[in-house]
Amino acid sequence: MIRIAAVGDLHYGVGSQDILRPSLQHLPDRADLLLLAGDLTRCGGPDEVKVLADDLRGVPIPVVAVLGNHDYHAGREAEVRRVLEGAQVRVLEGEATTFDFDGVRLGIAGTKGFGGGFRGAHGSDFGEPEMKAFVGHTKMLSDRLERALAGVEADLRIALLHYSPIEATLEGERLEIYPFLGSYLLAEAVDNAGADLVFHGHAHHGQEKGRTAAGIAVRNVAQPVIRHAYNIYTLDANRQALPAAAGGIGS
Amino acid sequence: MSAPRDTYLPEALREKLIHDPRVAEQDLQVQVQEHRVMLGGNVASPQLKQRITEVAKELLPDYEVVNEITVVSAAEPDGEEPVL
Repeated sequence: MIRIAAVGDLHYGVGSQDILRPSLQHLPDRADLLLLAGDLTRCGGPDEVKVLADDLRGVPIPVVAVLGNHDYHAGREAEVRRVLEGAQVRVLEGEATTFDFDGVRLGIAGTKGFGGGFRGAHGSDFGEPEMKAFVGHTKMLSDRLERALAGVEADLRIALLHYSPIEATLEGERLEIYPFLGSYLLAEAVDNAGADLVFHGHAHHGQEKGRTAAGIAVRNVAQPVIRHAYNIYTLDANRQALPAAAGGIGS
Repeated sequence: MSAPRDTYLPEALREKLIHDPRVAEQDLQVQVQEHRVMLGGNVASPQLKQRITEVAKELLPDYEVVNEITVVSAAEPDGEEPVL
């Protein structure tokens, strides 16, 4: 059994000291690792992320993060990443990492992701250079996510995103802004490569729970949605193995 | 012919609340009626909620600001969800 704590959209600024820290004290007793689904800062300032890094420093379980759109606002995302890495936070962008928990290998592939919309109403990289750049960015990050997920060797695999891969977890947001909240290309990447669970944030007025077309569980852990410092999800590698074994016997 | 006076004010304030580094929130609801500004949404701290009121009053000093923004709890969760 692997216990995963996850939260997104913490939006730390200078002055956010200790928003999370009291709830982190018992975290090592309750979870095996902590995932951060982007928008860690208010404006992407290294001074802002340093406040979060100080809150996370000393948390004795692995912490894995992707950045969100807010973390790019100052154009200093490389520094933001370095500050997090200095606090032993593993930051993923088109990359994967693995952990071993009592012999069960957990793989996590992550990307910020980007927008575009959903099936039947997705933008195309056609026309102005700005439109090509917008949709092209989503395609590039989705391709990298698919490769990272497919390449990770693990018993359980998680995709960690900031933008949403599905519409179900956006319910409650205005339809007009769906193209700025996510893209089906992220879900297609996850469904092609396979995964056991997907986390995202970004949609503050959305819903927590949904599934991709292939049935993979999706959880929107934006802090305003889960209304806690984090939520905890458990994965049992044996439960995943059972249906496959049953299928093997029957076929 | 011109647009009613308050037509574009909510968007001006929404833009201000996104770009002012004291706030930088993209998910706030802004409505303007008569001389009253109504603010809704979720933020992480009472201090940020208060700053939003201040920023709104800076932009619209002649308006009453009704700040109904919710401060979201950062408490530990009670349980856990078995996903798999």
